[in-house]
Amino acid sequence: MTIIDWGYIWDAVPDLLQGLKMTLLVSVLAILLSLLMGLIGCALRMSPLKIVGYAVAAYVEFIRGTPYLVQVFFVFYGLPNLGLTLSVFWSGVVALSIWASVFHIESFRAGLSSVSKDIHNTSASLGLRRWQHALLVVLPIAARSALPSTLNTVVSTIKNSAYLQAIGLVELTFVAVDRIAYEFRATEMFLSICVIYLVIVLAVSGLGHRLERRLNRPYEGR
Amino acid sequence: MSLLYEYRVFLFSGFIQTLLMSLVVAAGTTMVAIVLVIAVRSRQRVIRIAGYTLVEVLRDIPLMVNVLMVYFMLPLVGLGFGPFWSACIAISVWGGANGAQILRAGLNSVGNGQREAAAAFNFGPAKTLLLIVLPQAMPVIIPPYVGLMTAVVQATSLGAVVGAQELLRSGQILIEQTTIMRGGSPAYLVYGSILVVYFILCSLISFAGGRLEAFYKRPYRGDANEDRIESRIHDIEATVQTSA
Repeated sequence: MTIIDWGYIWDAVPDLLQGLKMTLLVSVLAILLSLLMGLIGCALRMSPLKIVGYAVAAYVEFIRGTPYLVQVFFVFYGLPNLGLTLSVFWSGVVALSIWASVFHIESFRAGLSSVSKDIHNTSASLGLRRWQHALLVVLPIAARSALPSTLNTVVSTIKNSAYLQAIGLVELTFVAVDRIAYEFRATEMFLSICVIYLVIVLAVSGLGHRLERRLNRPYEGR
Repeated sequence: MSLLYEYRVFLFSGFIQTLLMSLVVAAGTTMVAIVLVIAVRSRQRVIRIAGYTLVEVLRDIPLMVNVLMVYFMLPLVGLGFGPFWSACIAISVWGGANGAQILRAGLNSVGNGQREAAAAFNFGPAKTLLLIVLPQAMPVIIPPYVGLMTAVVQATSLGAVVGAQELLRSGQILIEQTTIMRGGSPAYLVYGSILVVYFILCSLISFAGGRLEAFYKRPYRGDANEDRIESRIHDIEATVQTSA
């Protein structure tokens, strides 16, 4: 193997930063959108109308059971046939959000179902109103329980933004592969992007773990 | 639809490649996972730390980057395998890291008292693992592991990115050819059908996995361990990717 040419990496830094900016932009938008979709989806999933709940369950099953890459291609190349043409960027955001939303729906639902049913009577006997019960009693418990899997999905969303290079979104992986195609410095480019992805992932999951510990403080030692 | 029927042989050969690749990555994932979990549980501190680092790094690097990296970098050290095998290697290594995480958590879920009791009965390490620990770890391991298996099967579609002739790549070629020769892109139809094919394939895996899960859970049905097992499974699933 060739010895790593640090000068080459240094020269590639401006390009990599451009790619990093795009990766972060797509990921942040997709994370926000998918969390929103997750909340709405979870509410619909638990709706008293059975049909709506089943429809959401089918959506979750279908997205989970199909490869994300094919979903990306379907959104970017397939939807224009149906009269919905999205740019590369928005195709990426939409596909990433759809993929992540189903995991959010599932983890929110699992979080809510971890709240014991008896607690409803407790709230009622304390004279709490329904919104007080939902906001002050159920939400804090459910959020703590849903947090680990939600964080896992958030981190995966960032990692999966790399798939979008396949439709030509100029993000971090695309920049690296593009340079390799012309200049054949695979070692240098992959080393750089791996380090960048590692730092992002470790930073985000580290922050997440801090949040988890902070939220678990009232329960320590029990 | 007639387009799909017209090119059924071509698409079917892609599907066969996908199935072949799925078998290879399923076996590869399991092998890598076993090797990594042995490293992680090793008594040698150096091996243990190396194992942990490898598992963590492989899980944190995007699968797409992993696939491209193996494809572009193995030839640099004189190991040109072609797209099919380099994609298989990359996916197996990625799956193996996630699998090691599942196995480790599953083995840890069996209390130490069980191992001590086995030692008191003069069971050796192999006997303890096979007869005492694994049967109790299986109910916790199987559900996330089945999820991982569907994930690596889905991940075979990444072979298309490096040019392996599997289902997605066949679909892409079909779309290109039709667009050039007849005008009008059938992307919606072709990609939609590929989604359905994968959905059926993954549903079958999940169904078979569900049966296996029920088999291993049977001894615990209705007893106090059932909830404990469920919460362990939930914890593990919150740390690994079950879709790709």
